[in-house]
Amino acid sequence: MNKLILFRMLQEEVRLNTSFASGKGFFSFPILVLISGLLAVLFSDVMMNDMGYKEYLQILHISAIFYGLFAGSLAFFGNEFLERIFGYFGLILGLSATQPITQRKITLLYFCKEIIFYTLFTMLPALLGALIGINYTDINVVNLLTFSFTLYISFCTGISFSYYISSFYRISTTSTITAVFIFLAVYSSMFYGKEITGSLDWYLNGNIKLLLLGLAIPIMLSTIATLNIQEHNTNGSINIIGYKNRFEEYNQTYSWARKISMPGIIAKERIDLERSKTGTKMFLSFLFPLGFLTFMNWFLDKGLPIQIDFNTIFYGVMIGFFGTMLYSWLNSIDTPHFYSTLPIQVSDIIRARLFLFGTITWWIPLIFMALISYMSNELNLLPIGLIVMVTVGIYIVNYTAMSTGLKTNSALFDAFVFIKFFLISVPPMIAMTILSLAINHKPSTILVALSVICGILSLLSLTFYKRIDTKWNNESFD
Amino acid sequence: MRALFLKPSRKCLDNMSVINCSNLSKRYDDIEALNKINLEVNEGEFFGLLGPNGAGKTTLLKILTCQLKPTEGKAEVFALDTSNEFTSIKPKISIVPEQESPPSFLTPREVLELVTNIRKIDNKDIDYWLEFFELEHMEGRVCRNLSRGQKQKVMLASAFISETKLMFLDEPFINLDPLVQSKVREWLKEYVEKGGTVFINTHLLENAERLCDRAAIIHQGEIQSLITLDDLRKQKLTLEELFHEIVK
Repeated sequence: MNKLILFRMLQEEVRLNTSFASGKGFFSFPILVLISGLLAVLFSDVMMNDMGYKEYLQILHISAIFYGLFAGSLAFFGNEFLERIFGYFGLILGLSATQPITQRKITLLYFCKEIIFYTLFTMLPALLGALIGINYTDINVVNLLTFSFTLYISFCTGISFSYYISSFYRISTTSTITAVFIFLAVYSSMFYGKEITGSLDWYLNGNIKLLLLGLAIPIMLSTIATLNIQEHNTNGSINIIGYKNRFEEYNQTYSWARKISMPGIIAKERIDLERSKTGTKMFLSFLFPLGFLTFMNWFLDKGLPIQIDFNTIFYGVMIGFFGTMLYSWLNSIDTPHFYSTLPIQVSDIIRARLFLFGTITWWIPLIFMALISYMSNELNLLPIGLIVMVTVGIYIVNYTAMSTGLKTNSALFDAFVFIKFFLISVPPMIAMTILSLAINHKPSTILVALSVICGILSLLSLTFYKRIDTKWNNESFD
Repeated sequence: MRALFLKPSRKCLDNMSVINCSNLSKRYDDIEALNKINLEVNEGEFFGLLGPNGAGKTTLLKILTCQLKPTEGKAEVFALDTSNEFTSIKPKISIVPEQESPPSFLTPREVLELVTNIRKIDNKDIDYWLEFFELEHMEGRVCRNLSRGQKQKVMLASAFISETKLMFLDEPFINLDPLVQSKVREWLKEYVEKGGTVFINTHLLENAERLCDRAAIIHQGEIQSLITLDDLRKQKLTLEELFHEIVK
């Protein structure tokens, strides 16, 4: 029975993804990953010369952990979005409500399905690309396979960590935060003074105990998560009664914004944002990657004799980029189906959400930027960091809105949309990251270069904003 | 009954067509959802589109309400092409979709305020409609926490308050209790008496028989029969008998 459920879950995953993106777009994704694997190997010499051997391997491991975290977040927190965006959305995962199978068992099977799915659709194509790549380099095939195995463990650690968090999230927010801190404390005490992951330490230093420890971590995390799954959960996050009528009040408040979008729509979206408590989720979704980045930064600084200066400007670039996440959250609050009954267009809603992004959610990145610059004793860099953050944020969010409309999460599943997004977002980010890391060497030159990039990004933002109407005016809300 | 647009009674109206489909087809990959549909609905008519599940009813309604584009052929509402006259058609029609999906985080009153605000109409009737659908006790509750029937009432209230001349209803009676069904039926009858036009999708034949002037039976994407209900009665046939005959 388990094999059958697992197989059907895999089928369901493929069908779900092909319903978001075009079939071609979805099945092109492994090819995109294969090319990435090929490029990673072909450019490995350049990267190692530039960054250093160990640092390059560490970056790959950090990326694998992040990728696992991302994949796991989509899997374990994605259903909530699907329900909201599409209304009722039935998955095999919900089978325990009507069939004699426990929630714990079906969730464990779902976790196994996620591992298999991502292994087949991304990890194996990446390995295949890398294997093709070694024909053009002097990398040894055994070394490549061994290193790929260590990377796979890091990926499993990331995805298991998401599973672990989601199991606590079902209980309460407090228990989630506590569980995250406990894990990070235990992990840093185990690996203090060692490599970033046990498997990497084994690869570099041959310490078999650390490989076993590295292998044990995803097993431990997923075991704890599975044991944590209970049959009954109460979701008390949304009040049942007692909501005051806010529509007219907000409609008046936003009457000045009628040139951007209809005040009534902005008022509705604002109410959605407040009552769904999405602001808190947005804050936590920033806290998580930034906390992880800061933790890695601290770990590399203190644990190892390597110096990477992630300064306030670098964080400005990163936080600006995370603006996509804020916009994506705004698209995940509620299904837009009701709008199809009204004489309005998709572009009206996009502009209302961009307006909210600019006016209501700005405090989240601002808090993080202020905290990071204060903690790094770099308050002098804060104004530049803020300008960079705002410019990158507006640029990336306008592009995301223009290219993905109201379906950011699902649209990015399409390989073609994703490639375009990658090509638009990554080059300016890399340029600004390099400039930010070199700010102390030639400050005046760097500032001029940053200003030029900010100017170009601002002009492009305006172009993207103007194209929203052309692209989305005739689209339906379905 | 609220004062609507109060046009002259339907008896005074000439038979101006408000919906017109010619050779309308819609394909989803290899599936022919609609195949060369030809249809005309006149102003002041109560028109029913009947058919089994998956017959193409919702697809046709979505094309007529500018939510889908046809693969071939043409659909016109108020003589405007539904494929590219979206902005002119939408203010003139109201829609109750198949799936009850009022905004999750607004209260019923706020939903009606949103509708009147966007449609730029007077909001003085909000209390009337809340009372009509017995939603006045739901003050302070967001739609997410309402039952499916209550959500359907919010959707109907949003359509009824819109004061449009043409109304598209997709299975509007599903999830409603018999008392509310009866109230809605009475209101719709009166709406048509006063010159409004209703296009209703349903497989509840009893309701169609009570309400419709004309009906089309659609099966496997094709209109199989176009019926005038009076003629059917004269032939001492029921809609159910005809439906079974065609769809079996």
